[in-house]
Amino acid sequence: MSLLLQSIVLGVLLGGLYALLAAGLTLYFGVMRVVMIAHSAFLILAAYLAWWFSTETGIDPLVSLIGTVPLFFVMGVAVQRLLISRLNPSSLTMMSVLLTFSIALVIEGMLGFVWSGTQRRVRLSYGGGDFEIFGANIAVVKLIAFGLAAVSLLALFLLLTRTKFGQALRATIQHPEAARLVGINTDRIAGYGFGIGLATAAIGGTALSLDATIYPSLHWHWIGPLMAIIVVGGLGSIPGAAIAAMLLGLGQSLLQIPLGTTWAQTFFYIALFLTLMVRPQGFFGGRLAQRF
Amino acid sequence: MPSASEHARTSRNGLAVALKVLGLLVLAGAILSFPSMAANPFILSVGVVIMSYAVLATGWNFMGGLTGYMSLGHAAYSGLGGYATGLLIIETGWDPWVALVGGSLFVAVLAVPIGIASLRVRGASFVIVSIALVLILLLVFQSWSELTGGSNGLRIPRPFGPEVLRPEQHERFYYLHAALLAGALLLWWLIDRSQFGIGLKAIREDEDKAQALGVPTFNYKLVAFVISAFITALGGGLYALWFGFLDPVFQFSILAGAYMVLMSLLGGIRSLFGPLLGAVIVGYAVEFFKAEYGDSQFHIVAMGLLLGIVVLFMPEGIIPAVSQQIRRFRPQASSIREVSQAELAEERRKDEEQPGTARRVTEGAPS
Repeated sequence: MSLLLQSIVLGVLLGGLYALLAAGLTLYFGVMRVVMIAHSAFLILAAYLAWWFSTETGIDPLVSLIGTVPLFFVMGVAVQRLLISRLNPSSLTMMSVLLTFSIALVIEGMLGFVWSGTQRRVRLSYGGGDFEIFGANIAVVKLIAFGLAAVSLLALFLLLTRTKFGQALRATIQHPEAARLVGINTDRIAGYGFGIGLATAAIGGTALSLDATIYPSLHWHWIGPLMAIIVVGGLGSIPGAAIAAMLLGLGQSLLQIPLGTTWAQTFFYIALFLTLMVRPQGFFGGRLAQRF
Repeated sequence: MPSASEHARTSRNGLAVALKVLGLLVLAGAILSFPSMAANPFILSVGVVIMSYAVLATGWNFMGGLTGYMSLGHAAYSGLGGYATGLLIIETGWDPWVALVGGSLFVAVLAVPIGIASLRVRGASFVIVSIALVLILLLVFQSWSELTGGSNGLRIPRPFGPEVLRPEQHERFYYLHAALLAGALLLWWLIDRSQFGIGLKAIREDEDKAQALGVPTFNYKLVAFVISAFITALGGGLYALWFGFLDPVFQFSILAGAYMVLMSLLGGIRSLFGPLLGAVIVGYAVEFFKAEYGDSQFHIVAMGLLLGIVVLFMPEGIIPAVSQQIRRFRPQASSIREVSQAELAEERRKDEEQPGTARRVTEGAPS
């Protein structure tokens, strides 16, 4: 019983982090119809920066967010304005996949080049700390990661629904031509949308660095589950991605009991293939995906 | 009645055909004479690697080039081909060459349900599925260690006896790869000129219109997909026989799949020899960077930059770009050109800017 409870709690915590990361991916797809393969590479980059910051200064890796969030926002705007907007609109989707793939390779290679392929881990005073609720052990780092994800998702939600910029961004996602007609500078909005997406990668990566051993090629292990989440949730739908992230995170956590960690990971891919067989546009939201 | 201009055109066509045949002979001669010119066994082994890349890229191009469905996960089929070949030899004691063909046929059969599932979606979703396929196979082959040896790898018995020394092995496998490549190129050429190939290219340019015109798009895509998987599996199997050792991390690597895409794009996915040209360039570059920068990850950076440059500045590839330049200096041909959607859109845009020249003549005999 407590094992089950433990898995559910872990699944929810994991799902929260997945939701944050998938929200970024969904944002890119929404504003530019771009599948950003490099998202998880940026995630690992942020984790490396947090680790590096922490080992160099001895300060808590979370403090590095002050630097990485604005940095990643600027990088996101730059990637969109300098690279992706140059692609030919008629082949944008396919070429953007290849372009962001190449960005992922460059990041992976540079990480290995600068910090070598050695596995790294942040040393934290509270790293081993945990506490118990109803017989379920919760590691403090996992709870911090979840808290970060929850706060950023809430901020993202408020930004999208309560601000003028958020309205413009949602209008751009829903109908770019109409948004342009009412005077929204969709190019600029798309750039900012990309920036915000990458800023979520900075937060997610830092949260990840608290709890995970990192190495340059780790991003391939993340991209699959994240892609599965956004396809199941319906490409382009942020609520869909959040729901799918929770469900798949929980499912993975529950399946770990009978199957073990490696086989439990295949759950994402099975969900992905089943979604495509039954409902290619995704299960939640997912109006946009019908165009592809 | 044939007019004078038509006579001129036939003789020009004759010249073009002669030039093409000459070019083909030069290419075949260059490929066949490479082993005798290779300075040492290492260079020869690089030659085998490049030939293997060329086979894989050409196999990829059956799908990517003809239908425009760009799979980033074709390493799934080369890896499966390698493992199927190796496991058939080890588990059933089949003759290596029978195992190679049998294993590849098995992969082709396996590609049918995979194709049915993944060809339901287009564009980005298809790419995601192709990536997911490689990742899932990596997990399975690492975990299922009783059969595959897991992360310890799988040693594959050599098809030639111990009396065949390593340099000789390289030479034999070089020619085997070259023969496989020739077969794949011939098949691609035949399909490219067939009714089937026209249907596939219609799918590439506009799938909805192709379907509206009565092309059985799904069946066509599936057949192309299975052929592509089969050729790629043959390439992977032959490589496994040569290399003698399989590790899931390298067999089911997204990087390997990306190399196939990069090679084909770089050379030109619309042309027969595009993937071969790309394989020579990329294969040489990979080996150069690995030799020059050793274990550092720099070769990944170089490959990433190369892919980015190709996507941004020459998405059509080298061969089409060069032949376009040549065509500019030739007398204008009046046959039906292959125009991509992007080019049409570009021309249409130009027409809109200059309303006076709105009528555009693409084809038809000169009046």
